[in-house]
Amino acid sequence: MMLLAKAALGVSGALVAAGAYTFHEGVIRVDVDEFRAGGAHVHLWVPAAAVPMTMHFVPKHHLCDAASHAREFLPVAHALFQELKNFPDAEFVEVKDGEQHVQIRTHGGKLQIDVDDPDEKVHVMVPLSTVDDVVGQLEDSAPGA
Amino acid sequence: MSSFHRGLTAKTALIAAAALVFLPALGLAQSSTQTSNAQAKPAPSTSSEKGERWLHVRVICTDGKGDTVRVNVPLELAEKVLPAVNHDRLHNGKVRIDSSDINDVDLNALMEAIRSAKDGEYVTVQGNDNDVRVAKEGNHLMIHVVDKNGPKKSQVEVKVPMKVVEALLSAGKDELDLVAALHALGAQGDVELVSVKDSENTVKVWLDSKNVAD
Repeated sequence: MMLLAKAALGVSGALVAAGAYTFHEGVIRVDVDEFRAGGAHVHLWVPAAAVPMTMHFVPKHHLCDAASHAREFLPVAHALFQELKNFPDAEFVEVKDGEQHVQIRTHGGKLQIDVDDPDEKVHVMVPLSTVDDVVGQLEDSAPGA
Repeated sequence: MSSFHRGLTAKTALIAAAALVFLPALGLAQSSTQTSNAQAKPAPSTSSEKGERWLHVRVICTDGKGDTVRVNVPLELAEKVLPAVNHDRLHNGKVRIDSSDINDVDLNALMEAIRSAKDGEYVTVQGNDNDVRVAKEGNHLMIHVVDKNGPKKSQVEVKVPMKVVEALLSAGKDELDLVAALHALGAQGDVELVSVKDSENTVKVWLDSKNVAD
């Protein structure tokens, strides 16, 4: 009984530590709903910390290829997301076109993109620090970096 | 250790383990509630916290459908990001201009002449198609264009603080320093920079301390 309890405590402690590390940067949330026959309904929750970790397992040549395609925009994206973290929540872009509504804003350290259309709804929330991490890793993977 | 104490310790450890296992789930549930609340109502504050200056662009389509575009950009953000953009003629926050683009006009000399001149109207053109008026009023350069015969009957008003124009031309003969201009703009009070009205759209570009558009 005592051994079982100690083992359970150890496993639980490890689970909590792993859980706390995984969720400390928040959650990436992607919701896509297509309102048509056979339309996709995607509701995805991913721990934000998992993304930069997972990128370490992506083959180097794939990252290098992606980085070379986005090379021109990486310094801009890096500067943008690093600075966005220093600003209060704000709505940066809002477009209303008939029944379509697009919003790009920051809220609670997350970049939030909402697209509401009669045919589909797309909501994306990504922690700014995660985007910055990913951009930083892509920059490091760029040819000649 | 007595069997009573051993049993008690084991039970306590099991309860602690169970509590530890369920805590993250509770935290995640709270996080999801906060996330969905956040998605429902982002409620940005109307006034910036550190006295930031915000550049706003608003386009309203006047065709009755209520189509609008609103863009809000903190000037400080633009100042920091712009030097990172290196594309075509834009490098390090400066735009290179060919002298042929401006018909070999020395912009700095022109600016110096305007800066040292008194307030007044410098250019007034009243034609059949357009009315154009360029003037210096106070510390602002004003440009007013009315398209009289065009299909949209547009009316354009541009009001630029002289300090901003000076900063824009501070890079040298063949360059416009956008970052310096943004920096100078940040030091200005609330001002409406551009207003365009025509039969289809209303465009307004202005500067204030709010992080949301009106």
